[in-house]
Amino acid sequence: MNMIQHFPVLAVMTLFLGAFLIEILGRNQIVRNALAFAAVSISMVLLICLIRPVLLEGQVISYWMGGWKPVANYAIGIGYEVDALGLTFALLGITAYWLSCVYSFGYMKGKQHLGHYYTLFLMLAGASVGFFLTGDIFNMFIMMEIVTFSAVALTASNTEKTTAIEGAFKYLINCSIGSSMTLAGIALIYLNCHTLNLAQLATILPGNVNLTTLMAFALILIGFCVESAMIPFHASFVDAHTVAPSSVSMILSGMVLKLGVYGLIRISYIVFRAIDTSSLQILLTAFGTVTMFIGVTMALAQHDFKRLLAFHSVSQLGYIIAAAGLCTSLGLTGSLYHAINHTLFKGLLFLCAGAVIHATGTSDLDALGGLSKRMPKTCICFLIGAFSISGLPPFNGFVSKWMIYQAAYAKAVTTGNFYYAVVTVTALVVSVMTLASFVKVLHSVFFGQLKKEHESVHEAPGIMLFPMYIMSALCVLTGIFYKAFSTVFIGPAVFAAFNNTTYIDSMMGEGYAELFGVPALAIDKLEFSYWNPFVWFVLFVIVFAAACVVIFSSTGTRGRTLKSGGSYDSVYGTGDLSVDFMGRTYETGDPEEKYAVFFSGEKAEYSHAGGSDLFWGFKYNWHKYYQFLQGLHSGSVNDYSAYAVICIAVICMFMFLFMR
Amino acid sequence: MILANYIVSFILIALGLLVLCTQKNLIKVVLGLGIMDYGVNLLIVSAGFNEGGTAPIYTLSELLSGVPSTFFVAPVPQALTLTSIVIGACVDAMALAIVIMIKKRYGTIDADEVRRLRG
Amino acid sequence: MIVLKYLFNALIFPGALFTILAGFLLSGLDRKVIARMQRRIGPPLAQPVYDFFKLAGKENIVPAAANVTAYKLAPVLSFVSLAFIMVFIPIFSFSAFSSKADLIVILYLITIPGVALIIGGSASGSPYGAIGISREMVTMMSYELPFVLVLLAVAKKAGGDQLVFSLKEIGEWQAVNGSMLLHWSMIPAALAMLLVIPAEVGTQPFDVAEAETEICEGPLCEYSGAPLAVFKLSTCMKMFIMTGLFTAMFLGGIRTGFAGTDAILFVLICCVVTILCITTIHAITARLRIQHLFQFYWTYVTLLALVSLVLVWFGL
Repeated sequence: MNMIQHFPVLAVMTLFLGAFLIEILGRNQIVRNALAFAAVSISMVLLICLIRPVLLEGQVISYWMGGWKPVANYAIGIGYEVDALGLTFALLGITAYWLSCVYSFGYMKGKQHLGHYYTLFLMLAGASVGFFLTGDIFNMFIMMEIVTFSAVALTASNTEKTTAIEGAFKYLINCSIGSSMTLAGIALIYLNCHTLNLAQLATILPGNVNLTTLMAFALILIGFCVESAMIPFHASFVDAHTVAPSSVSMILSGMVLKLGVYGLIRISYIVFRAIDTSSLQILLTAFGTVTMFIGVTMALAQHDFKRLLAFHSVSQLGYIIAAAGLCTSLGLTGSLYHAINHTLFKGLLFLCAGAVIHATGTSDLDALGGLSKRMPKTCICFLIGAFSISGLPPFNGFVSKWMIYQAAYAKAVTTGNFYYAVVTVTALVVSVMTLASFVKVLHSVFFGQLKKEHESVHEAPGIMLFPMYIMSALCVLTGIFYKAFSTVFIGPAVFAAFNNTTYIDSMMGEGYAELFGVPALAIDKLEFSYWNPFVWFVLFVIVFAAACVVIFSSTGTRGRTLKSGGSYDSVYGTGDLSVDFMGRTYETGDPEEKYAVFFSGEKAEYSHAGGSDLFWGFKYNWHKYYQFLQGLHSGSVNDYSAYAVICIAVICMFMFLFMR
Repeated sequence: MILANYIVSFILIALGLLVLCTQKNLIKVVLGLGIMDYGVNLLIVSAGFNEGGTAPIYTLSELLSGVPSTFFVAPVPQALTLTSIVIGACVDAMALAIVIMIKKRYGTIDADEVRRLRG
Repeated sequence: MIVLKYLFNALIFPGALFTILAGFLLSGLDRKVIARMQRRIGPPLAQPVYDFFKLAGKENIVPAAANVTAYKLAPVLSFVSLAFIMVFIPIFSFSAFSSKADLIVILYLITIPGVALIIGGSASGSPYGAIGISREMVTMMSYELPFVLVLLAVAKKAGGDQLVFSLKEIGEWQAVNGSMLLHWSMIPAALAMLLVIPAEVGTQPFDVAEAETEICEGPLCEYSGAPLAVFKLSTCMKMFIMTGLFTAMFLGGIRTGFAGTDAILFVLICCVVTILCITTIHAITARLRIQHLFQFYWTYVTLLALVSLVLVWFGL
């Protein structure tokens, strides 16, 4: 116990120390990579050591910096406090950083100023892990600022895109608005409570509603809404995710947005306990619903691979916030599950995008096509990611989305509020639109016909594929073994969010929470028995295998396939080998041109319909909506600030009108 | 007068936001960011201010006797302000550096021209 | 033992074999009846079976631009997922896998055959396929909204102020309170569902994705031989599954207490529903354009479903 108490702070310090050392010693590539890898790995091991006491045994680990323990029940020092909620997020974060670090070794190879890159990368990692583990609200703000700072620098470091600098600037301005609001809120809290410790605040603030704390809550809520890219704060995030290097986009999109989610849950569930007021529930779910809808519809209209993914992040964050705003245990479970899943599949998809950019040098959907023949492994990883995000069973997105629908509709029927039925319907429809936009990517990038200039592209190197494989495996495993996963990771976190007495007691001394009479939110029983995907999966595999055998062993078809199943390039006589989906090579022999694709017996031409060509019927009906919305995404930093200001005003007014 | 501090700090924040929304020159946008920061800083300092208080420093005699002879203002907000000023300065420096890069790559620092990422 | 039971359920009754046979029956019936409506004699009832075996025996040509594995796996994926959906739909009182949340599971499982078709059409590398999958996806988006509304209305009706998503529980509710269709507030939802079925199955006038005369069957353009046969089979199975879902949701609760007669009755009701919503609409309409299809579903059909949901919400 004594030893383990130091682990959280060591996990953060290791990363910052690594950043420092790389800046000094990082001239040599091997030393630099070794240092970065070692720092992230050590931090990961330290956090994994915390699983047993925190998640399995239900302890809360607290640590006072410099031994400044509370005096006379008043916390003055800075404390680190690890409960299940924080640790779940921290573990998720460090996993993402570890994978991104490994990916960077391949992806960033040969770029300039890599020393600075890894320094900033480790600072980003340290700050995000610190954000999840800290027990001090001002410390949260500091960590948020370090995250913003290093994220901006990392985004701007992409020298290959001229627009990178523009994205970085907008990101900086937007995040600064958010963090200034948070800081103002923190000042107001201090004014009222004279403490910054989360545990102590959690005893003072609930039930102590006056104008100052309400204003503080509104401001902090806004800060975290900005951080989690809610509409209308999302635009500059999307820009930054588009232009950052892919290994960073993965972190920004998959991980950094989760800071806002964690902050929202921490603030509204534990510190202010305001989540059980129905007006806040309506505010958060409305926010989430609007966000998921606008995010996905904007994604459908994009024709840049990474920009599309970035809009999907916005949309998925909408799911997470909406579910968290339901304030039921199933809803929060779904929310946290989806937060974890989002990191996994969105990270995977960004890594796939990175592999495509690495190979072809472009991320424009209109300029790609047919890459599955050249990059079969990336294609399989992408398929898994796309199915996960669209929520097809048995992948992980289905589990979390199922929980969210279930929770939202349960809320609707138990409260009799039609509004929550609208939330459910929107969530379900957004899901099919998500599928649609991934069909678009799938067809435009991986299937269809190969472009002539991409005939010589190569599969991503092993060091880039390795993180992709791990994430794909995690996507499948968290979908199939959802029960074990939610018992170990999500269940304790949800319990911690609803019952904070241990959190307070561990920090402020035994019996402190009772002294102030902190109420626990009523937690309803968790039920996870919707179906048994494992049985289903086994059956699926059996029948699928049987059917595969039938199809593939039919000799008559196979001979002809091998003869005529050449790749597209062979039609033009440029190559004589073709590689199929599994990476096997066939000799193409003497393909007849009319077998390329069906052209009524005519000679085949290059005719790839992809990218912007798809979904005409949909876009036609929605063209006014798109005109309006794309006009709003004007790209001007002034406009984005104006939306933010309007939204801030609206949220503050809502709070004052409905939450008093 | 402490109330004036609060009012002014919120006015500063609002002014900063106004600058962010209306000024097309990116340098001015960064200045707006700075104004907003200082508004927040003023708010924090004011939060720790006690009417008639002195700097929160123990003199030797006070340390020996164990009771402060004068009335202190709260020290924590001052530490917070210091941190916040440092962060604000870093952010402004970073933003200005980025503006220089924008000028180099785009040839302009007009916010209406710097919008290639849109739609 | 439990594995054997699951295997039996998945492969024979109500899974693959039963679905295939019933699907062939419905498809044959559809063709026969539409022929009679058009004053033709029409093919024999078993014509889909003959078609299937004839196609399966034909040569399979894989186009050179295609991604071979994805192209070949797509029909299998479609077939397997369809064979499993039936396991989740109770045949009156009999249900193979009873679970808490069948409606959402089914909603998602039903999208998988569509996704398989899209992957197949996309992997074929044909421009006709590309246009086809684009339309297929828009069709899916179109009917999803009313479909979701119908499912939620049914769930609300059966659950009251409790969350009931299980088809089995919905069936039990109907056994006590009479079929959904007998409650007047559910009639708009039933109509909406009847209009969703042809789009889901892909028959005229909602067959824009596979419009033979415009885009040479779209995603199926490049397919030949056994894979094409499997896709055609999938369409037949989809017919049975969608009508079966309609039966389970709106006409459930009829118990003869005996699995065999239940199954026969179920198939008979499915036949009636097929003739009602697939054959009749097919016979009297011409193909829509894709943008009109989208409009149609997001306005009229959605409105029907929404009316039901609102009525149910006020306890009617």
